[in-house]
Amino acid sequence: MAEAKKSMGFDNVEDILTKIENKSLKIESLIKQYKFIEAIKTALEGYPPQDERCKHLQSANWIGVHKALMAIKDVEGMLRSLDPQYYDILMKYAYRGLSSGNRTTCDQCLKIHEKLTEKAGFGCILRSLVDTVNTV
Amino acid sequence: MAAVAVHQFAQCITCHAWSPDHSMVAFCPNNNEVHIYKLVNDKWEKVHVLQKHDQIVSGIDWSGKSNRIVSVSHDRNSYVWNREGPEWVPTLVILRLNRAALCVRWSPKENKFAVGSGAKTVCVCYYEQENNWWVSKVIRKKHDSSVTSVAWHPNNILLATTSTDGKCRVFSTFIKGVDTRESKTGSSSDPKFGEQIVQLDLSSSWAFGVKWSPSGNTLAYVGHNSMIYFVDDIGPSPLAQNVAFRNLPLRDVLFVSEKMVIGVGFDCNPMVFAADKSGLWSFIRFLGERKESLSGPKSGSQFSEAFGKLYAQAKHGLSNDTVEPSKIQGAVHDNCINCIALLNKKGSQTKRFSTSGMDGKVVIWDLGNQQDLKEYL
Repeated sequence: MAEAKKSMGFDNVEDILTKIENKSLKIESLIKQYKFIEAIKTALEGYPPQDERCKHLQSANWIGVHKALMAIKDVEGMLRSLDPQYYDILMKYAYRGLSSGNRTTCDQCLKIHEKLTEKAGFGCILRSLVDTVNTV
Repeated sequence: MAAVAVHQFAQCITCHAWSPDHSMVAFCPNNNEVHIYKLVNDKWEKVHVLQKHDQIVSGIDWSGKSNRIVSVSHDRNSYVWNREGPEWVPTLVILRLNRAALCVRWSPKENKFAVGSGAKTVCVCYYEQENNWWVSKVIRKKHDSSVTSVAWHPNNILLATTSTDGKCRVFSTFIKGVDTRESKTGSSSDPKFGEQIVQLDLSSSWAFGVKWSPSGNTLAYVGHNSMIYFVDDIGPSPLAQNVAFRNLPLRDVLFVSEKMVIGVGFDCNPMVFAADKSGLWSFIRFLGERKESLSGPKSGSQFSEAFGKLYAQAKHGLSNDTVEPSKIQGAVHDNCINCIALLNKKGSQTKRFSTSGMDGKVVIWDLGNQQDLKEYL
């Protein structure tokens, strides 16, 4: 039973990786067209698989989201047009960016964190910290 | 102003409960005693000190009709205190716990009380007339972690519990000889003691503060992820609403009416949640005065200083001299509120409740002059 589950997991991994790559390409094309807000919305849609064995899928997903986050110049404007349902996910990605240690990523993510906290409050931070079920 | 009275009783209060006529309040000042204060000529006087526990008293409940106090403590014991003349006489109730007791509630008929514990169990105690002592029956199996809060349904049989495993569960506590079986009322056809009616897995974080609405139709509890959950139709397919809010998590809730819930917690200010005509719950506003938060590090919250320094690191040279002091402006409580109790006078229309917190204050709130909330009462 456990073996069957494992093989099923592997088949799906290919599909999910393809989906993530497609998403990345879509984000890149939107950035090139200066449609930063659509890029962010595409990036924040859906969670990567939560499986322990598929950490590389989360990393692949992060690469695309990271591109979208770094492309934002007007953080406040972006947040104004973002649907409130995306606040929690964005906060999770902001923390992931802050944990990377990279100077430019951290600067940008800190800006996003500040503006997002103003908009969404401490509850948003709490939810991003506490949610161990949906991680990024 | 919704807060009508503020009393500083101690440095820190773990829990409190009112006497049936609301003239006396019993609380634990963060030690192993229960202090009872009485309002005499507009001044609070300490009238009794109940000393029996060895460790901190984590839960107190005062029954409304039979005038008995039950107290539970981290020393794994519970005492039922009966008023005999001028004294309070304790009766030990053996709970057979190997971990701390965390919370206690009298049932609506006051013939039972439930104790939540760190031993992942709930003890339901009832009085055995023949032996003149309290017997404890334990719900052992279902919880994966400490039981933080218990709440009785108005039918005296269903018990809701929340736990640090994030789940809220409803059990039947039907005890033969104590409870009378309702003939075909429909709601609980499974009266076996300890039977789990429903398990709600809505929160991925610790759950606290469960309460039933006055009719017993709605259940509300909070998660440590700054969310509050409202559940209708407790049964095989419950209807749940998750309300996320932007502030710090809550610790306890109270139904002031079918349509209005007050939540208290780490924001030191009661939060009002209400259901509109279609039954959709949402956050209305804070009850106490609250300074409007300004943009950036000058916001009036207690974390503004810390965040100001954090953000300033990216903006080199931003001076922190303009950051305001970190004390909350205008809030009544200075520290986390961890207990809320209803204070309705019989026959009176006004809704009053009291809160106590880690700042050692007990604050009485009155919703009578809150015009915008009248439609929910």
